[in-house]
Amino acid sequence: MSALSNHVPDPRLITAYAERWDGPLHRINPWTKVAVLPIVVLAVTIVDDPTIVAGIYAAILGLYAASGLPVQRLLYWYTLPVVFVVTIVGPLAFGEPGVPIGGLVLETPIGSLSLTWAGLSVFLGLLFRSLSVVTYSLTIAMTTEYNDVAHVLGRVLPRPVDQIALLTYRFTFVMLETLEDLVSGVDARGGSLVSDFWGNRQLYSRVFGMTFLTAIERSERLTDSMEVRGYDGDLTLYSHVERPPARDLLVVGELAVSVIAYGVLA
Amino acid sequence: MAHIHLPDGIFPLWALVLWNGLAVALFGAVVYRVRQRGLETRRIALAGIAGAASFAIFQLNLPILGGVHMNLTGLIGILAGPAIGTLIVLVVNILSAVIGHGAWGLIGANTLVNAAEVIITYYAFVALVRANWDTFPAAATATIAGLGIGGLIMGAIPLVSGIQGTAIQGLDLALYMGALVALNLGVAVAEGLLTGLTVSFLTSMRPDLIKGGVDVTDETETGTEVTA
Repeated sequence: MSALSNHVPDPRLITAYAERWDGPLHRINPWTKVAVLPIVVLAVTIVDDPTIVAGIYAAILGLYAASGLPVQRLLYWYTLPVVFVVTIVGPLAFGEPGVPIGGLVLETPIGSLSLTWAGLSVFLGLLFRSLSVVTYSLTIAMTTEYNDVAHVLGRVLPRPVDQIALLTYRFTFVMLETLEDLVSGVDARGGSLVSDFWGNRQLYSRVFGMTFLTAIERSERLTDSMEVRGYDGDLTLYSHVERPPARDLLVVGELAVSVIAYGVLA
Repeated sequence: MAHIHLPDGIFPLWALVLWNGLAVALFGAVVYRVRQRGLETRRIALAGIAGAASFAIFQLNLPILGGVHMNLTGLIGILAGPAIGTLIVLVVNILSAVIGHGAWGLIGANTLVNAAEVIITYYAFVALVRANWDTFPAAATATIAGLGIGGLIMGAIPLVSGIQGTAIQGLDLALYMGALVALNLGVAVAEGLLTGLTVSFLTSMRPDLIKGGVDVTDETETGTEVTA
């Protein structure tokens, strides 16, 4: 996806890893991987010790790397999650009371400003919490085949949300190619979308407009083909994901009990 | 969506329960309404592919304030209407969380913000076009209003929830979140203008898609159709 952003995960690359790679997590039942997700979210929400939070992150990052997934690319993909944490929490870290790191204090009209050890701890703790979930989510996505993801979406979401989700998931790949073709067309004609937003506003609106127009025209053709095939509100899924084996259930259960026990006892 | 996605781990557990509970209530009501009225195949197809287009457009980096990404939630509201638009942003948020953008624990909070953007943009656009505004100013103003209110909700959520581990709260936190909302408003203006231009472009290419602010495929939702 050279024409588009490299710091947003490309669903085509994610799916390629899921379909063509064969790491240890690829062989784990999809339901098991999905069941661990809320446990990870719960863990990073209730654990308040920064060392344990860092440990959770390290364990998930290790899982990601052990599955043969691209660690270097992960750094690019962290851009937006890190920006979100920095934006929400970054400046707050400078207002935390405590001992300034290196004794550095900046006097401003609204008061003194310093980064304290407590502020740094809060910031890093929240960063690790966020990145833990981001990394685990990407790990699931990159180790679970397209058909299995579709099956899980179809089973978990209520109708008609499941139908919309399945179509969105399927057509994301098509729309990405449409958008990429439009951006390549702009480049080929000597245009540029990488600078001067205001000067290129008409160009952006046409690229976005054409993307939506293509989407709408595709949806009109899709409607015809769905109705011809007797669509009755249910997109048939031909894949099937077995129930997780007892061993997996045991591990998931142990993880859940550990996190809940920590929450109750700590 | 001209706002920050709230990341996992920043709020306490009770806040996750609160925001996800509110989101389940809202989406339960929308799903119930859509099921009661029945959903035509063309509406499902439109919703699915419009969601894909929104998700794809997010991949494009726009050179504003060093680089922002947009899902064009305002445009989704104008094209798909409030109910289907709400379901589309839910799906886009789920798929965004899958690729690590957004948060699983705060999917309810993030989707409530987006749903507000969709709903407010739609109704503001319809009202402005009925007041004889041209397409561009109507779409731009409606989108800025929708994203502005969405940004306010985004800023209010941390105030209500409190941020884990930090001693800063109350007025200090309110001042900071206010500054963040103001910054987001700048991006909302850019997205609003872009949405206005995009709606104008779509109207010039396919005037049947947007007739006076009422999506012609959305007659069951609005009950009326206004001719531009």
